[in-house]
Amino acid sequence: MYDAPNLAENKVTQDKIKIAARKVQVYYGDTHAIKDVDVDILDNTVTAFIGPSGCGKSTFLRCINRMNDTIDICRVEGDILLDGQDIYDKRVDPVQLRAKVGMVFQKPNPFPKSIYDNVAYGPRIHGLARTKADLDEIVEKSLRRAALWNEAKDRLDQPGTGLSGGQQQRLCIARAVATAPEVLLMDEPCSALDPIATAQVEELIDELRQDYSVVIVTHSMQQAARVSQKTAFFHLGNLVEYGDTGTIFTNPEDERTESYITGRIG
Amino acid sequence: MTDATLNTGGDRPGSSLATQDARTKRRNRAEARFKAYGLTAILIGIFFLVVLAVSIIRSGSPAFTRTIVGVEFTITQPQIDAAEGELFKTKAYQTLFIDALKQQLDARGMEMDFDEDSIERLLGKVGSTLREYYQANPGEIGTPVSFELAASSRVDGYLNGRLTRDSVKDSRFLMAADLDLVDALQEAGIVRSSLNWTFITGTDSGVDNPGGAGIGASVVGSFFMMLVVLVLSLPIGVAASIYLEEFAPQNKFTDLIEVNISNLAAVPSIVFGILGLAVFIQFAHLPQSAPLVGGLVLTLMTLPTIIISTRASLRAVPPSIRDAALGVGASKMQSVFHHVLPLAMPGILTGTIIGLAQALGETAPLLLIGMVGFVARGYPDGVVSGFMDPNSAMPAQIYTWAARADPSFYEKAWGGIIVLLVFLLTMNIIAIILRRRFERRW
Repeated sequence: MYDAPNLAENKVTQDKIKIAARKVQVYYGDTHAIKDVDVDILDNTVTAFIGPSGCGKSTFLRCINRMNDTIDICRVEGDILLDGQDIYDKRVDPVQLRAKVGMVFQKPNPFPKSIYDNVAYGPRIHGLARTKADLDEIVEKSLRRAALWNEAKDRLDQPGTGLSGGQQQRLCIARAVATAPEVLLMDEPCSALDPIATAQVEELIDELRQDYSVVIVTHSMQQAARVSQKTAFFHLGNLVEYGDTGTIFTNPEDERTESYITGRIG
Repeated sequence: MTDATLNTGGDRPGSSLATQDARTKRRNRAEARFKAYGLTAILIGIFFLVVLAVSIIRSGSPAFTRTIVGVEFTITQPQIDAAEGELFKTKAYQTLFIDALKQQLDARGMEMDFDEDSIERLLGKVGSTLREYYQANPGEIGTPVSFELAASSRVDGYLNGRLTRDSVKDSRFLMAADLDLVDALQEAGIVRSSLNWTFITGTDSGVDNPGGAGIGASVVGSFFMMLVVLVLSLPIGVAASIYLEEFAPQNKFTDLIEVNISNLAAVPSIVFGILGLAVFIQFAHLPQSAPLVGGLVLTLMTLPTIIISTRASLRAVPPSIRDAALGVGASKMQSVFHHVLPLAMPGILTGTIIGLAQALGETAPLLLIGMVGFVARGYPDGVVSGFMDPNSAMPAQIYTWAARADPSFYEKAWGGIIVLLVFLLTMNIIAIILRRRFERRW
């Protein structure tokens, strides 16, 4: 069986359901990319989506903040409830939703602006700060939250694109945190980072769990085992298995999960 | 396992890294050949560029200079009184001038005999110039005054070698005998060359007065047209591109629009000219030959260029920037205007200036809306009349001059080309500077 480190610590501490997905189907044109996915994502928990490439885990993640709306041929059916409210309801404005459900992308993508402006952009457009002092406070808090404050405090007016890869990704996390979201979606946030930067971001994810419900897509099973309390295994558009990370990695029910975790498929 | 097969695959008998095998030699030769072709192409290009530049400057530079005859002499009050008593007053002044000129030549030991007709052919109506001067400045009577008189363009042509003594045919413009006087004046040091401000600031002249022709009025006309083009095509073009690229749904209708924009960029400009004639002048009754109409026609021509280059530069902005903006809850419009547009700005500006430069050099549509063959009487008075008054444009003016019989106008046409090229170069330099300023790394 897969020897995952620190599995014992990965205890679910919460049972409040933050996001509930029911019979979610996603189509790209004629392709049925996500089939019948039912999942309950808990608050103050890190949930990892694992699975082979093309299994639909990123697609499903992008459904949670309706980023798929930007793709013309993409169609979503079924219900996704955030705190009991259907986010695909006609009255829901995706722009408001995305302020509540922040996202960090695979490749660090800071704006070509200063570090300060990168973090301040979200609060500015949502009107979260009334004064310059408020905004300064939000920026500092967010950068501290993303463990970037000490490195960035003396160069806030320098371009965010001048930071190293790991710092850029933490800047993106700070930017996502600055809009005071309730859920943080991370699409393979460490795939472009070296092991040291990865370790820093993983540590950060664990801390972020205090305030947010974090959903992370990852290709690294070690990473899923290290940071998450819940794990969902996707295969060919199906949610094969969902449960406590410890159970999934030590005692999976489905043989496809076991094959993937032990490296026989994927 | 793949590595293993690769390693054993290179087992060639007798092969050494120090000697090239036949295949490598062939490949290296092909590469050397290709480099030689490329270098040749560039050298040919540079050669033609140099030929072009040299011939333009050589043919065009005489247009910027003119021959001045400088004579210093004194006219006393009794002489003025006598001249004013004559029946032909200006003729009397002309006689005074001729006497003074003869005296100066005599003083240098060169005795010349010439009549007033040859003076008129060489220097124009000297008598009236003198009379007007003394009427305006009565205080100068009795003191030495230095008169600088512009010689006719034939004298320019003779002095810079365009006209030779053999090629001069006697006409009312120039007799072969007049050239003796020109030679004498030059020997005496009375003739000199100076910058031709009339050409740079003046308006077009009649067909038999090449010396008085200037490009200034058409520079103003071109400038007003460019203003119209810039003010209309930049906002319309950029707005259309942003809508098509970022907001419009992908369907048959937008496909159709896209195909049409690409095709419009290839439509001959004269088609836009006749469209402008039909729509703006005949239907909308805008004034003929006005820079406003010219600007509108050129706007139609420039729009496809601007739209195509703007869309290309919008497309070149990495999608991750859009994702990042949408991810923090920016609306579509905020993501476009706060993030995508600033990054696309260098490309948009370059496209706009290329479009403007194209419009600046466009002649064909202007011929159809009447911005050609016009002898401008003066500058437009104000900004409004500048847009509405009949005027010409630089390329149309050059075309007019090139079509005229007098070889002096040919020289003016080359000079006009130099002015046009200076404007184009300036615009391109501005484009480069703006590009540098707006360019950002990500």
